[in-house]
Amino acid sequence: MAFIEIRNLFKRYKKVTAVNRIRLEVKKGELLTLLGPSGCGKTTTLRCIAGLEKPEEGDIIIDGKPMISGGFVPPSKRGIGMMFQNYAVWPHMKVYSNIVYGLRLQNISRQSIKEKAKDVLELVGLQGLDDRYPGQLSGGQQQRVALARALIRNPKVLLLDEPLSNLDAKLREKMRFEIKSLVKRMGITSVYVTHDQAEAMVISDRIVVMEKGNIVQIGSPREIYEKPASRFVADFIGAMNFIPGEVVSVLPGSDEVYVRTEFSDKLLCRSAGVDVTTPGQKVYASIRPEDVEVFSEPPAGENLFKGVIANKAYLGNFLFLFVNINGTTIRVQAPHQLPQEEGHEIVLSLNPQKCIVLPE
Amino acid sequence: MARAGSGPPVYGMINEGCDMSRGNNVLSSLLWFVIAFLVIYPLSILIIESLKVSGTAASGIQNYLEFFQDTYYLKTFWNTLVLSTMVLLVATLFGIPLAYILARYRQRGKTIFTALILMPIVLPAYAGVFAFVIFFGKFGTMNLLLMDAGLIDKPLNFIYGLHGLVFIEALHMLPFIVLSLVAGLTSIDPSFEEAAEVEGASGFRRFITVTLPLCTPSYLAGAVMVFLWPFTDWLTPLILGQVDFLPSVAYINIAYHFTDQHRKYMGIVAVVVSSIICITLFLFARWWVEKRKYTGLSKGTTAEGRVIEPSSFVKTGSYLYMFFIAALVLLIPIVLGLSAFSRRWVFEPFPTYWTLDNFRVILMESPGLIKNSFVFSVIALIFGVIFGLPAAYIIVRTRTPGKDALDFMITLMLAFPGIAIGVSYLLAFWEGIPLATHWIIMPLALFSRRLPYFLRIAHASYLQLDVSLEEASEVSGVGKFRTFINISLPLLIKGVLVGVVMFFIMAFQEISTAIFLYRGGWETLPIGIYLNWHRGMEFGISAAMAFLMIVITFILLLIIAKIGGGILKAAWGPGEGR
Repeated sequence: MAFIEIRNLFKRYKKVTAVNRIRLEVKKGELLTLLGPSGCGKTTTLRCIAGLEKPEEGDIIIDGKPMISGGFVPPSKRGIGMMFQNYAVWPHMKVYSNIVYGLRLQNISRQSIKEKAKDVLELVGLQGLDDRYPGQLSGGQQQRVALARALIRNPKVLLLDEPLSNLDAKLREKMRFEIKSLVKRMGITSVYVTHDQAEAMVISDRIVVMEKGNIVQIGSPREIYEKPASRFVADFIGAMNFIPGEVVSVLPGSDEVYVRTEFSDKLLCRSAGVDVTTPGQKVYASIRPEDVEVFSEPPAGENLFKGVIANKAYLGNFLFLFVNINGTTIRVQAPHQLPQEEGHEIVLSLNPQKCIVLPE
Repeated sequence: MARAGSGPPVYGMINEGCDMSRGNNVLSSLLWFVIAFLVIYPLSILIIESLKVSGTAASGIQNYLEFFQDTYYLKTFWNTLVLSTMVLLVATLFGIPLAYILARYRQRGKTIFTALILMPIVLPAYAGVFAFVIFFGKFGTMNLLLMDAGLIDKPLNFIYGLHGLVFIEALHMLPFIVLSLVAGLTSIDPSFEEAAEVEGASGFRRFITVTLPLCTPSYLAGAVMVFLWPFTDWLTPLILGQVDFLPSVAYINIAYHFTDQHRKYMGIVAVVVSSIICITLFLFARWWVEKRKYTGLSKGTTAEGRVIEPSSFVKTGSYLYMFFIAALVLLIPIVLGLSAFSRRWVFEPFPTYWTLDNFRVILMESPGLIKNSFVFSVIALIFGVIFGLPAAYIIVRTRTPGKDALDFMITLMLAFPGIAIGVSYLLAFWEGIPLATHWIIMPLALFSRRLPYFLRIAHASYLQLDVSLEEASEVSGVGKFRTFINISLPLLIKGVLVGVVMFFIMAFQEISTAIFLYRGGWETLPIGIYLNWHRGMEFGISAAMAFLMIVITFILLLIIAKIGGGILKAAWGPGEGR
């Protein structure tokens, strides 16, 4: 049963469509990520859930209650917690006042407010800092204040709008895991917005990839990475070689497809759930750089091609190669014990299990 | 969303709840009602009156035709244009090096020099005129010192004439040029100039080809205010015995010849013509500035832009130059102070007879002036805050229909000559709505004249307030009004206070509007200054009153500096005229 349901959400700013009639369901206790480049509509969607934007069309149901069709429910009445990109910690209030701000409006005794604040401060690791002003805290600490403030009222839904983008890289990686384990432990249904694919992979139960106001794919991090639905998704998440070609034949009773490319008449690929079944259709044979294997001598098997190393770069934990096969450049991520230098010939294996076709 | 052409959406314009936007609409209608009553109605009466033909019940454009055919009125029109051009030229010529020094050189005492050079912005214009008449007059200190030293035989004419007018008005308006150029210079991305340097353009060439052109938008915002000043200021020419300028002619025609209907109408025509020129130029400048904003072109400008360590030769020169300008400015309070604490200061370079008589006379004979000034300004201020805060909210934070027009109308008030507001109030609130028979007209007029000052500052501080701070409160379960009280107001309070003090200073020294509306018993301190000068013989009292005004202004300025001067800069930054 969906805890949050977005029905035909449509929002535009003047003539620019920000969110184009999307449908989406978030399960109870799930951590869902909206992922996409800037301007794809992910933040607008989140702000519609919060009630900070009013969509032109569509409805949002939270825990069975309509937020729009039954009269617009303002953000203050939606029972949500939210973390903002710039923390939005009020500079004129101490940490304690910031955190208990929303609680003070409810009918709760001072004593239990104090207890809740103590619990939540402990939860986010800010013990002893409740008497400070935000100006006296580091960015990471302010961010924890924002998290504590979002959590203290036990919200039905937690909304996170790129909460880590203002932190430095090391802290960001650490906070990803902290937020995830905290949210999971409390079992709060959460919607997380980010443009950072690595962050989305780490944190999410499911990822929603958006492009130009539309949802282009929904799936677990593994599904999104291994079975991208389009060239856009494959390109946005991780690196991918896109080899233009056309379908030669489809092997009956399997998802295997032969593709003709510049350098091969029969490149064996899998269709990975993407509907490309007609011979002659233009497609991309796609393979990730880490799925290309490198050999000095040709081994037995399919999809083996000779190529010349055009560029070779040492990146510490691996080598990155640009290999030229008859005019087509393939990016390869290889283990770093490779004797051949630039200009030498090697053999590439485009693993048929990992090589997928994507529609043009 | 489509990325082509348009940037990402601007968040933070929350007007979602239906009841909320209804509330905004009601608020907006109230604000519009005030604007209609206090601005649009009187100004339309002004235009209607200018079309009346004396001695008949008819109306038409005869007065305008006559105005542009009559050699005398044409001459005043031409004189005003010439004066404006000269004032702008002189202010620019002196302002460019000054702005460059202040914006770019690392120097000690920069803060104090900046404060001194910008001082005329808060001093009433008439204070400067009186001081320079005393100091540079025919038998003023300068001439007497030069004659005593045997350098000249006869007194030189320093200020009586066009050259004196240009000098005094240019000095008064110099801060606008300096402020806008400094804003331009500090907001240029340093990499633009570094790129020019790398390309081989060094020093002066780089300044002329890259730096100065990049500054033009912000320069223009200040320049237009300077150019418009001679179309507004009727008092300076009058004190210097020059009357053939548009605002002065308008003032004389209306104030002295109220019974001669034809002259009155011609005066009103002069007011309308001045206003039209002011509004047109102001709008043109705004449009031009909007069209070419270079500062937004690049990311990551540093807070202060490029700062250079000058060579000791340049450093000495720039110190001398700053000192020269600062000394001219400082003359105003010093000379007025000397005059205020002395009597019978004639034919002597410096006063010889020291006394507190002037202040005694002020306190004995006209304590009401000071009281009136305070009372009127405070009431105007209260109106200003009650109107300005909701207006800033509507303009910055909502999508209420007509809010841009509201912003536009209020900003337009910046360009309106004070004389236009004074005359139109006199015409509009005499019969029909006889507000002008009650003293409330004085604070009302001050309110409409100075409103943009408070609004721009409130507006700027509202823009600096990150909208997510307010949203975070709403998400925490707090409604709109309480969010405003708990979050917005405490964070805006600095800006609001600076706006309040600035508004008070400007209302306190206002004369162009008030001079038309005051009746016996309603005189303010500036009107007292004018009347005492006008009666002749009481120059010392005028000077003492002007000195008193300067002292009060200074105290208020200190308060602003304590609260935070950065807000002023944000309010009058590039792209916004004063």
